Amino acid sequence: MPSHDVMPNMELYQPVQVEDALALAGRLAERGWLLGGGQDTYGWLKDRTKSPEAMIDLNGIESLRGVREIADGIEIGALTTLTELANNPLVRERYSLLADAAVKVASPQIRNVGTVGGNLVQDVRCWYYRRGLSCYRAGGNLCYADTPQGMNREHAIFNASRCVAVTPSDTAPALVALDASMVIRSSEGERVVPAEEFFVGPNVDIRNTTVLRPGEILTAVRLPATWANATFYFEKVADRNVWDFALVNIAVAMRESGGVIQDARFVAGAVQCTPRRLVDVENAVRGQPRNEATAQMLGTLASQGAQPLNHNGFKIHLVDSLARRALIA
Amino acid sequence: MTYMHIGKDFTPPDAEGKITGAARYAEDHRKEGMVFARLLTSPVPGGMVRNIDATEALRMDGVLGILTADDLPEAPRPGNPALSNELTYVGQPILAIAAISEQIAEDALGLIRLDIERRPFVVDPLDSLIEGGPNAYPEGNVMRRGENGMELASLKWSTDAVESFRNGRDPQAEFTTEWSYGDLDAAFAECSVIVEEPFVTAGYPHHSLEPRTCMSYWENGRCYFHGSLQSQSAANAPLARMLGIELDQLCFINETTGGGFGSRIGPYPFMAISGYLSRNLNRPVQVRITREEEFFIGSARSGMQGWMKVGLKPDGKVAAVDLIIVNDGGSTGSGSGSSSAGAVTVVYQPTAMRFRGVSVFTNTTPRGAQRGPGQNEMHAVLAPIMDKAANQLGMDRVAFRRLNAPDSNSRIDANQGPVTSAYMREAIDMGAQMFDWQAKINQPRRNGSKVIGIGVGQGYHAAGNNGFDGIVRIGTDGKIYLHSGVGNLGTYSYAGTVRAAAEALQCRWENCEIVRGNSDLGLPHSSGQGGSNTMFTHTRANWVAAQDAIAKMKEIAAAELGGTVDDYSIGEERVFKTATPAEGLTYAEAAQRAVALGGRYSGAEYPDDINELTALAVQKIAGTGLVGVAKDNLEKNGTAPGLAIAFAEIEMDLDTGKYEILDYVGIAECGTIVHPKGLSHGMNGGGVWGMGMAGFERHVYDPQNGLPANIGLYQSKPPTFLDVPVQMRHAAVDLPDPQSPVGARGIGEPAMGCAVAAVTSAIADALGGHLFNRVPVTPDMVIDHVAQNTYNNKSLKINTF
Amino acid sequence: MNPRLTRRRFIKGVIYSSAAAMSGAGLYLTNAQSQSGAAVERLISINVNGRTRRVDVLPQETLAHTLRYKLDLTGTKLGCNRGECGACTVLIDDVTNYACSTLTHSVRQREVTTVEGLRSPDGQLHPVQQAFLDELGPQCGFCTPGQVVATVALLKSNPRPTREEARQALSGNLCRCGAYDHYLNGVMRASGQLS
Repeated sequence: MPSHDVMPNMELYQPVQVEDALALAGRLAERGWLLGGGQDTYGWLKDRTKSPEAMIDLNGIESLRGVREIADGIEIGALTTLTELANNPLVRERYSLLADAAVKVASPQIRNVGTVGGNLVQDVRCWYYRRGLSCYRAGGNLCYADTPQGMNREHAIFNASRCVAVTPSDTAPALVALDASMVIRSSEGERVVPAEEFFVGPNVDIRNTTVLRPGEILTAVRLPATWANATFYFEKVADRNVWDFALVNIAVAMRESGGVIQDARFVAGAVQCTPRRLVDVENAVRGQPRNEATAQMLGTLASQGAQPLNHNGFKIHLVDSLARRALIA
Repeated sequence: MTYMHIGKDFTPPDAEGKITGAARYAEDHRKEGMVFARLLTSPVPGGMVRNIDATEALRMDGVLGILTADDLPEAPRPGNPALSNELTYVGQPILAIAAISEQIAEDALGLIRLDIERRPFVVDPLDSLIEGGPNAYPEGNVMRRGENGMELASLKWSTDAVESFRNGRDPQAEFTTEWSYGDLDAAFAECSVIVEEPFVTAGYPHHSLEPRTCMSYWENGRCYFHGSLQSQSAANAPLARMLGIELDQLCFINETTGGGFGSRIGPYPFMAISGYLSRNLNRPVQVRITREEEFFIGSARSGMQGWMKVGLKPDGKVAAVDLIIVNDGGSTGSGSGSSSAGAVTVVYQPTAMRFRGVSVFTNTTPRGAQRGPGQNEMHAVLAPIMDKAANQLGMDRVAFRRLNAPDSNSRIDANQGPVTSAYMREAIDMGAQMFDWQAKINQPRRNGSKVIGIGVGQGYHAAGNNGFDGIVRIGTDGKIYLHSGVGNLGTYSYAGTVRAAAEALQCRWENCEIVRGNSDLGLPHSSGQGGSNTMFTHTRANWVAAQDAIAKMKEIAAAELGGTVDDYSIGEERVFKTATPAEGLTYAEAAQRAVALGGRYSGAEYPDDINELTALAVQKIAGTGLVGVAKDNLEKNGTAPGLAIAFAEIEMDLDTGKYEILDYVGIAECGTIVHPKGLSHGMNGGGVWGMGMAGFERHVYDPQNGLPANIGLYQSKPPTFLDVPVQMRHAAVDLPDPQSPVGARGIGEPAMGCAVAAVTSAIADALGGHLFNRVPVTPDMVIDHVAQNTYNNKSLKINTF
Repeated sequence: MNPRLTRRRFIKGVIYSSAAAMSGAGLYLTNAQSQSGAAVERLISINVNGRTRRVDVLPQETLAHTLRYKLDLTGTKLGCNRGECGACTVLIDDVTNYACSTLTHSVRQREVTTVEGLRSPDGQLHPVQQAFLDELGPQCGFCTPGQVVATVALLKSNPRPTREEARQALSGNLCRCGAYDHYLNGVMRASGQLS
């Protein structure tokens, strides 16, 4: 196999208006590649595993950047960098869960250019898929990871469907926990999709991890006031403390009142292809105090239904532990 | 002893360039008309290239040529050929394409059609050893002595033997290497504690940060070669042979190298590619290596699958060790089992020991030396096993190590030979006090999901050779030129070792200039910068060269000013009559006389026993000053050991399987400290490497497809700033080795071995004595252990997460 | 951490095409509907180390490539070319970036600082460089320019970081030699906290 690392020829568009970007995205469709921070771009292109004809660099579009207050919460431009997100006073003050998640992504340099949009739509990290093998997700007809000898320590314990890759994002679970919605635009118009519906598993679409279609651009993320200033918990467990994707991460938002949890959203990442709502856990903690006893009561609720592969059984215990820790931290 | 330079910090002259970006590594060199080559590497783990169709690629604008295995001299087989038609691992270079730009060369690779016949393959040694298992090469899976010397042979164990081994028992099977000393059975009979454990260690890639780029060009029949090696002068002879030229037809330039860690000690086969292409095309050719290719051809540590049985006498003395190691030799079959066993003999001094081993070829990347090859992965699994034995005896783990520690009278290795000196007990005492061992082990251990683990571990590597050459030149202006053939791999040993010459000459450091980095500057024959040998080896060589210069200055002074050489002393860059110091010559004057006198004084003549490369070097500088040149013929009796001990305190979170290293203390026992900051780098850097081996660095192959996962840094997981302690501590015993004129030995490799051992020891301690018998210990393993998941480390599977 | 949270950018919408140079490959089609025509504006100006440099840049070219191979600023190293090591760290408007994972065309109108741009005009080492020299920060030196550049960025926003803050800030710079402790000593010295 060739071992490439030089960027191959392609065109570059640098629109400054979102309308121009949408027109380009619509016209180029699959032949175009939307470029945010580019941190999940250059590897694909240098490897020549993906070969678009053109990059559409969105970085010049000022309207896609920054954090704004809106009627019901805040709106975060999709091109807002993870560093900006982690440091933004509004985010830190009201939605620290998201700031806590953003600061755990990759490395400082990657956070300096990596965008929240890019962090959400980045492709899965299954190493077989990244090697350019013709697996289901790449349009082929087998999965290399889900075999008796497959190296699948980092893969899914829930909801595998032919593909066993997991969501690599740290901010995605946080945004699902915050009940965010995604603003998607195309030349045809705009649609707003709840975060939970934005991400799709292989049972729905084996080639894409989100509902974004060619020609569409994720322009913003909206956080409703519902979960502002709630009690939050974010934890990421990875091999190394820099660069590495989560083995499992968890984002939790809880509303407490009168000494008990009124409502909660528990979301785990890296356990399936999409951020996973731990609904059983949420139901169990509602009406309970946030304490050690409630944590212990959870038992193995978080991992109910898990179907581990050969090397990832540890994720069962890890997701249970992280759910518990959210209640005693 | 009070020294002028030894033991004192200084700023090595290359440091500024590293900080300003001016330092030039191989790939930073450009040459008029330079073109670029890229590699096409094997997509399969085993096979034969039947046909290469490069027609379309060669037709591309900008493509200049192709180099295949057929264009190179036949390489020894099995081996590590620069290019090959026989494919023994995914990523093996098949051909190189040269073009006017890298991008064109890469585009051209996509147009080449290969016809490959596939072969069976195997990525786990035990899967090859088992009867009916595949062999990495058609002729076999091991090297064994046959009719024509060492040759490929097929070694198979019965299914029962393999199963037995996988389940932690002596397989009672055939090996290719065996040695023993003492009466093993009798020694075990004396033991009150016997521990028997299987173990497995990952053989992970070096991933030096600088990919090993080469650039070469030819002028007037000479090859100018910019390379990326740990060594300088050690490159010339083998590289010249590789290129089929004479020693004086090669100029090897290597001012700075971005790490090596054993993977770049001498010229590696890949260097032939730019050498041959540049000659064929008659243009400068650069082959820049990608990170992925650095994984493929940059070699890796050999992994181990093993078993050991250790016996302790009631007093805690290690009486008997029985050790088996199956090495994963990758496509080169290289294993270090015997070195692993040797390390056990040094650190624990067993009365009797047996080693049995075999290195098995697998269809994985080439294996080679990596920082303490054999020793360090041995220490990783040995420390917790020894802890278990000591604990069973109810003995403090430090006291146990102290009791068994080597000293200057100790015997080591299979042949139970002597050491030049050893002060391990002093190191242990120093470390235990600095770390506050007693207080640490007695502190409360549990806090919620977190638990404290305290570990101690030792490291060893032979750390010194002899018989190399030194050159010292005193210019007619009185400037001291310290010629060093030592490579610049990042340890500053090229500079540290010439300080021995400056010390001997009693000259100001500011008046010295180190001559290095380019063989045309006249550099002496030197050892390769591997095996922690440089400090011992080259302080000696530089010392003898300086002594030669001093002797010549005294002769010149005696001839001019009367008396005999014995009447003269040196000091303040003068040679003078001891009785009447005013009578004398400055070094500059002595050098001027030397030039006038010629002969051996000016380098026109030189000793017979120096290496050919040193002779060429002296010829280049002859007549430019007073030349001191000599071979190190000083006495050396025994192995010069590099020894180290480390202590680690970790806080492990049982929920997440992650741990933080709260405190780390490493103690070096490497004779006299020559360069404190260099030593500090060796100890801390070795510490980081040890922490990487203990917890992160891995080798992952999909056994079904022979595919490697950890081709990049992200998947290989070298430790980052946030995976090591925020501050590390170290010290050194600083007692001189009697067989070095300045008392110095090396430490680079033991610095890692003690660290990995201390951390694995701490992990076992945190888990109440649980032994993983495996490195790396990753969070999933800890979680599985705590959850009592059936984590089967007895399967001895290698190349897994 | 990032002192310039909302940078304004003034980037004109342009379309670049690389087709001309590489018609032989035939793999990457040109865009027939190019609005700004074939006028491939490859010749651009970028501000590097305080100087405006005119340079011919392919549309897909990374900043590391331009710096190293077109401007001979080889202090910016390629360790992985994948954003996994940090040896190519440069400052763009005082913010650390991996030059291997940045398009050169995206830094027009912005200020790029490489390790070569840190010395003062009279040749004096930057205080961070001097501190790294005094502490003998590097081993092999290949990651050092990135470490120096990351430290310069840190001290601009946080002149007296704690050791913990320093290692967080430098954490996107891998050192294979494991000279982390020494670099942190360099940071502490550069910030006047170690003498």
